[in-house]
Amino acid sequence: MSSALVFLGWNHRATPLDLRERLAFSPERAREALEGLFREKVFSEGVIISTCNRAEIYGLTELEDGLTPLSQFLARFHGVDETLLLSTALSGRGDVTVRHLFEVASGLDSMVLGEAQILGQVREAHRRASEARTARTVTNRLFQAAIECGKRVRTETELGSKPTSVPGIALTLTGRIFESLAGCRVLLLGAGETVELTASLLVDAGVGDILFCNRSPEKATALAAKANGRTLPWEDRVSAFATVDIVLSATSSSEPVVRAEPVKKLLMHRSRRGPLLVLDLAVPRDIEPEVGDLPDVYRYDLDSLGALAKKNTADRQAEVPKAAVIVDESVRKFEEWLAGLSHVDVVKGLRGKLEELRLAELERYAGKMGKLGPDERELVQRITESLVAKILHGPTVGLKEGDPSERLERAAAVRALFRLDRLDGDKK
Amino acid sequence: MALFPSSLATATALGYVALVCYAVSTGFYVAYLRRPRPAFGWTATGLAAAGAVMNLESLYARSAALHSVPYRDLVGSMALLGFFLAVISLLLEIRHRDRSLGPYLMPVVFLFLMVALLVPSSRTPPAPELKGAIFAFHVTLNMLAYAALAVACALSALYLVAGRALKGGKSLTTDGAASRLPSLRYLERANRTSLGVGVLASTCGFLLGVTWALRVWRPDHPSWALDPKIISVALILAFYWTVLVRAHRGAAPSTTARLSVLGFGLVIVSYTAINLFVSRLHAFYR
Repeated sequence: MSSALVFLGWNHRATPLDLRERLAFSPERAREALEGLFREKVFSEGVIISTCNRAEIYGLTELEDGLTPLSQFLARFHGVDETLLLSTALSGRGDVTVRHLFEVASGLDSMVLGEAQILGQVREAHRRASEARTARTVTNRLFQAAIECGKRVRTETELGSKPTSVPGIALTLTGRIFESLAGCRVLLLGAGETVELTASLLVDAGVGDILFCNRSPEKATALAAKANGRTLPWEDRVSAFATVDIVLSATSSSEPVVRAEPVKKLLMHRSRRGPLLVLDLAVPRDIEPEVGDLPDVYRYDLDSLGALAKKNTADRQAEVPKAAVIVDESVRKFEEWLAGLSHVDVVKGLRGKLEELRLAELERYAGKMGKLGPDERELVQRITESLVAKILHGPTVGLKEGDPSERLERAAAVRALFRLDRLDGDKK
Repeated sequence: MALFPSSLATATALGYVALVCYAVSTGFYVAYLRRPRPAFGWTATGLAAAGAVMNLESLYARSAALHSVPYRDLVGSMALLGFFLAVISLLLEIRHRDRSLGPYLMPVVFLFLMVALLVPSSRTPPAPELKGAIFAFHVTLNMLAYAALAVACALSALYLVAGRALKGGKSLTTDGAASRLPSLRYLERANRTSLGVGVLASTCGFLLGVTWALRVWRPDHPSWALDPKIISVALILAFYWTVLVRAHRGAAPSTTARLSVLGFGLVIVSYTAINLFVSRLHAFYR
């Protein structure tokens, strides 16, 4: 059965952004695509994951070569040349599909190794497909197992525990200095893109007091109006160090705009209590490194943050073998479940179970049957055998009827209702 | 009002119940630090509060059984100090709405009470002077002050460790033991709160001590004010007041932290060396 599971996708590794943009699916388009694939009998089940880094379609097909009609359909659907589409596509059948999805959910296939967002995106893709009833027995189980695998990787390894981006690291260090940004007063030096972005992040984090300070006051005024902040004359930038909790500097100045000596004098009469965080995100640096040597001043620049990002990335890389073991285990478990859904296996399991019950009951009444003659005992044997055969007839026929997805659904139901999994487990 | 019969056996039994509460509370605080689930946090706080109540009941039962203050010997003093540490830990938690100190303070509380329960109790009757409400308040407030200043010392040490880890350089990391410490600002604020409680309690305790001394010693011991213990306490108090005022006026938090550690070192010297070997008039139990 596993050979019927296929996937076709485009991700950040091989596909350029402009093509990924053309191949992306909005939730409505994903539903349309899956309905089309159902209509054309390419898929009997399917789920689409579409994020900024990947567009991947997973499904169950009864076709010998399900990938060709799938790629033809998608070329038509997106209006993209099929050769171009296939030139950067990733695809797989059977356990390759299962392994790929599990790696995606674990963050092993992400642009930033171990990033956590993808697990939520896989969960969301599955939720949408379940609501649209395009995810059924096998794909439901596949995605549930993938989400479980992703969770295990996150809790049992350190793959996603350390930030690897400069903003992520800056945020982590900030959290270790201030338990919350809500009560902080922040000074922003400069008026470029970094300052603008930081201001909007600070507003989102609940910072109510932001001071903007720039050589040209017009730009600072415009930013302050957007972020509901205040402006400060450029000349007051150093004296402001005494009244703020955080300073972020990102000017385009070719030489430091804040020297250590005046800051040192100023901090002796600091009116703001507590530590001072200084983030220098400018190249070349805006704030003299000696500022970081002053007591209770924590200064980080792009060099120190970048070095930490590199170190954390290496640490994440070292966790990959542990994550791979979890993925292996999860793939094996899923494959075992999938193998158990074959018609022959289910009927065989059910027959074994009923035969076991029949013999157990005969054994239970063996004492009472001792009073019967040989012919009568033979008759009882035949009656019970016939009863088992009659009970089995319905499920045996039912498991062969309907479309592939329905057959699998029934097989899964029979396994669950008659507890055939437990039987297999006991035997093992 | 006592909930349990007053006897030394009851006091010990209640002490062990408190000890178990503190131990399990420590476990939940650590679990909360690793995974901040609200249920872990509330359980930790609840057990710490239950431990404090049992600790207090134990002290009350002991006091009633001895017909004296419960801290007339080391056993009672340690149990009372443990109780105050638990109370201050809970107060800081409520005041600053942060549970990150629990994993560090609760084990100390546990340790104090455990030592108190393991050390043999003194059978010597208290000196006749060691009675009366003023004396009881004098000792109680000073115990509270010791607990608060001990907490301030611990917070200061944590501040210095966390600050050093964050200073940068090649050893800077986003994980490791230092990353599990409370934030610097919280440590700084909690330190000021603890110092405030400690200094106020110590000042009140000192003034009550002076009042009590005036009653007990006059007119036979006019030189009680020159006792080394009294002088050392007065100097330490002046030192702490200076630290506290400077901290509120915006002194560098790391300097306050260093002074706070130094101050508690002086308290220990005053409480042990000066009290035991130098003081003559203050050591009534000799």
